[in-house]
Order: sequence, then C-alpha cells, then structure tokens
Amino acid sequence: MIKKSKIFEVYETQLGRRNILLTKNLVKGVSVYGERLFNQDGEEYREWVSNKSKLAAAILKGCPNTGIRKDDVVLYLGAASGTTASHVSDIVGENGFVFALDFAPRVVRDLVFVCEKRKNMAPLLEDANNPESYKDKISKEVDIVYQDVAQKNQAQIFLKNCDMFLKKEGYALLALKARSVDVSAKPSVIFKKVREEISKKLIIIDERKLEPFEMDHCMFVCKKK
Amino acid sequence: MADKKFIDFYKKNLEETKRKIKASVTDDLLIVQIINNIDDLNKIINILAKDLREWYSYYNPEFSKEIQDHARFVELILSGKDKKIKQSMGAELSKEDLKPIFNLAKKIKDVFEFRDEQEICLEKMMKKVMPNATAVAGSVIGARLLQHAGSLKRLIMLPSSTVQLLGAEKALFRHIKSGSKCPKYGVLHEHPLIMKANRKDHGKIARALADKISIAARVDYFKGKFIGDELIKGLEERFG
Ligand SMILES: C[S@@+](CC[C@H](N)C(=O)[O-])C[C@H]1O[C@@H](n2cnc3c(N)ncnc32)[C@H](O)[C@@H]1O
Repeated sequence: MIKKSKIFEVYETQLGRRNILLTKNLVKGVSVYGERLFNQDGEEYREWVSNKSKLAAAILKGCPNTGIRKDDVVLYLGAASGTTASHVSDIVGENGFVFALDFAPRVVRDLVFVCEKRKNMAPLLEDANNPESYKDKISKEVDIVYQDVAQKNQAQIFLKNCDMFLKKEGYALLALKARSVDVSAKPSVIFKKVREEISKKLIIIDERKLEPFEMDHCMFVCKKK
Repeated sequence: MADKKFIDFYKKNLEETKRKIKASVTDDLLIVQIINNIDDLNKIINILAKDLREWYSYYNPEFSKEIQDHARFVELILSGKDKKIKQSMGAELSKEDLKPIFNLAKKIKDVFEFRDEQEICLEKMMKKVMPNATAVAGSVIGARLLQHAGSLKRLIMLPSSTVQLLGAEKALFRHIKSGSKCPKYGVLHEHPLIMKANRKDHGKIARALADKISIAARVDYFKGKFIGDELIKGLEERFG
C-alpha cells in the first residue's frame, strides 16, 4: 500500500522489511535513473532511492519538514544528471518550476535529456560561484534554494545564492559533505563551523546526519529571516 | 503550465545549455578518451591473453612458460613456431580442439594491432594539441597527465609539484593519512629520463621534469611558439 508520508507530496510504502519513499511520476512510464515504478489507483509513483539521493536520506532519517511544496519555484545548485532534481520536479508538480544548475558539461548532458521530458525543469550550465552570470536566466525570487555542490567554499556559495534569490521566509537546504570542505578535519568540527557561518544569515530549523546512507554528510534545512 | 514566464525560461535555458555543451567539446577531451580507450584495450589484452595461456597450456605448457611476453607468445602460435618438446606434459589435442584456441590468438593479435593504431592517433593528436608537452613528456605520459587533470586548462592551473605527483594520488593520500613514505612521482615514472637514472636521482629528475612539463603545457594552452626541443635538451644535458 502506497500512502502519504509526513512530507508534502512524498509517499511511502513498505517493501519487505524496508520503508521506501516515492514521488508521483510527472512523466508517466519514464524512469530517470533506473528507479522502479509502481502503480496504484491509476497513479504512477517513482521509487526515491535513498542511497542515491541525500534529500531522500534526510527524510528517511526523520527530517520533519523540507519546506518544498507543490507549485514552488526551486533553484537547485549542483543538479548533476538530475537524480534528486527529478524528484523535486515531481514534488513541485506541473505548476512549479526547478532551475537545475551544474557547471560540469558531462553531467549536464544527461540532465538535458531529463529536462526535455520534464517541462517544469530547465538545465543551466553555470558556476554557482557566479550568480551574476545566471541572474537573468532564472526567476527574480525563488521559494526554495537547494544546494549539493561538494565544494570547499560551499557555505559561502550557499549564502550568496540565498541572499540574491531566496524570498523572505523561503526555505534553503544545504547538503554538506565534510570531506570536500577539508579532507583531514573531523566532520563534527566542520559541521560546527558551517553551522556558525550559515546561522549568521539564516535560521537553521533542522540538521540531520545522513549515515548510513552517506558517510560524513549533513543536511541543513534553513529559513530566510 | 500556469505561468508563461516559465515556458520562456524553459526554452531559453534548454537551448543555451545545449549550445554550451556543444562548445565545451575540445581536443584535449578527445585525447583523454583515446588514452582511456588504450587503457581498456590493454586490460582486454591481458584478460584474453590469460585465457589463452590457461587454455593453451593443456596442450603445450612448456612453451607458454618459456615465452612470457604476451605479444610474442601470440605471434609465435599464429606463425606455427610453437613446437612441443618431446616429454611435454601437455595433452595431444585434435585439430578441432586446437581451432578455437588458435582463433582466440588471432583475435588477441587484432586487439594488439588496434591498440597500436589508437596509439598512433594519440601521438598525432598530442603533437597537434600539445606539441611542447609532447616533446618533453612523450605522447603517452602527456596524455596520462591530461587524463588525471581532466583537461588542459585544469592541467596548466596545477602547481608543478602536483603535476609531479599526478597518478600517485593513492600513495599520496596514504602518506597524508598514515604517514607512509611520500611518493616521488606518478605517471612520470615511465619517462625515459627516470627509467635510465639511478634510484637516488629519481626525485630530483621528477621535479625538474614536472617543472618543464608545466611550462610546456602552458605554452601549448596559450598557443605559443615551439620551445619543446630546447626544454627537453636542457633536461637531457642535466640528467641524460
Ligand atoms: C554530489 S553531486 C550532486 C548530486 C545531485 N545533487 C543528486 O543528488 O542527484 C555534486 C555536483 O555539484 C556540481 N558542482 C560542484 N561545484 C559546482 C559549482 N561551483 N557550480 C555548479 N555546480 C557545481 C558538480 O559538477 C556535481 O555534479
């Protein structure tokens, strides 16, 4: 039985002994990254594979609210080939929109194929360090900033983009990989540093370690003051 | 879609992104693909040659043992110069049993030849795209450096101390984590100047080589004039 989860537009079901997440498939019959499709009562759902998506991992780890809702406009930084972004596109639905940005041509090539099927998601080959270069290519204000870029200065990139594009009281999610900030420092030390840095500008409403899905990763859910 | 604005964003971004992806394809990326392919062909050759030796050794184990080099082993089988000794422990196999073994040897030879052709293409590309770095490092080592850096632009942005260690990432990481010995070089270990030298000079030569390769690659990136022969001559005079 597929039923609503506690998170907006996210569903869950028991598969064997595991609880899996799903989203309603915006593009019927199409699997984006090999995930399984399920049908129930004339609706199609895509499995949201938790060890391929940090957002799914955060939800399974008990994150009470991602802030992402139907009809939202999302700026997604570090979309890669669109695994997580495609589920975000399912969540916001056909009246929402996802600006999916990544600076690596190789992965954006695959992202283009995903976007061609999803009319609520556009690819941008841009560097998240330079919001100036894409400010005219996306909405003036977005409801959500989601970032997963695995860069040394990811907190700084995050704040810069939230400052420029996130609406007041909008949500901002940061998937933080400790090792890309500093290979040798202890993850807990890095999490603390980043927490201090982003809480100067944003209100952190949830912080969740992603083990065992991802080692030394943490998801921050924040809100703009 | 509810909002007309999004349709515009969608179309423009999709179009522009496709255009940028097209423009992002450069010669150095093609070189990386050739060297990746050569690496895979070498792996395939090794896998098939091992199969061949296992199989063939039921028939003529002494010969397989004697000829260690895969290319020569295959060549001799194909030209019928794989004579069995009198007291061989190999079984007498029928013509029919030997046929698939022989066919495998033929295919391995094809892969060897194909790899050599790809290496010729690589050398041509390297001389065209990175004439200076090729003069100093050679086409295969030069291409391997590109492979590890990811692109020519990334390669020229690396300090030469990093270029010296490209291809030794694992050993370097072990060194940082657990204090094992710091590696002296990565892909540069196959360079003739290092192969010929005494062990104690390896570090010094690798450093000088990496310096010159960095200079050469920068000249290549900015399409400067050819100074590769001067660079390698300087090195040969010091260490040759
Ligand atoms: C861990 S992957 C993202 C995976 C993706 N979020 C998912 O869950 O499906 C990180 C991505 O960030 C991209 N990236 C890193 N730095 C970036 C930057 N400065 N601007 C844009 N993208 C960047 C990389 O190219 C890579 O594709």
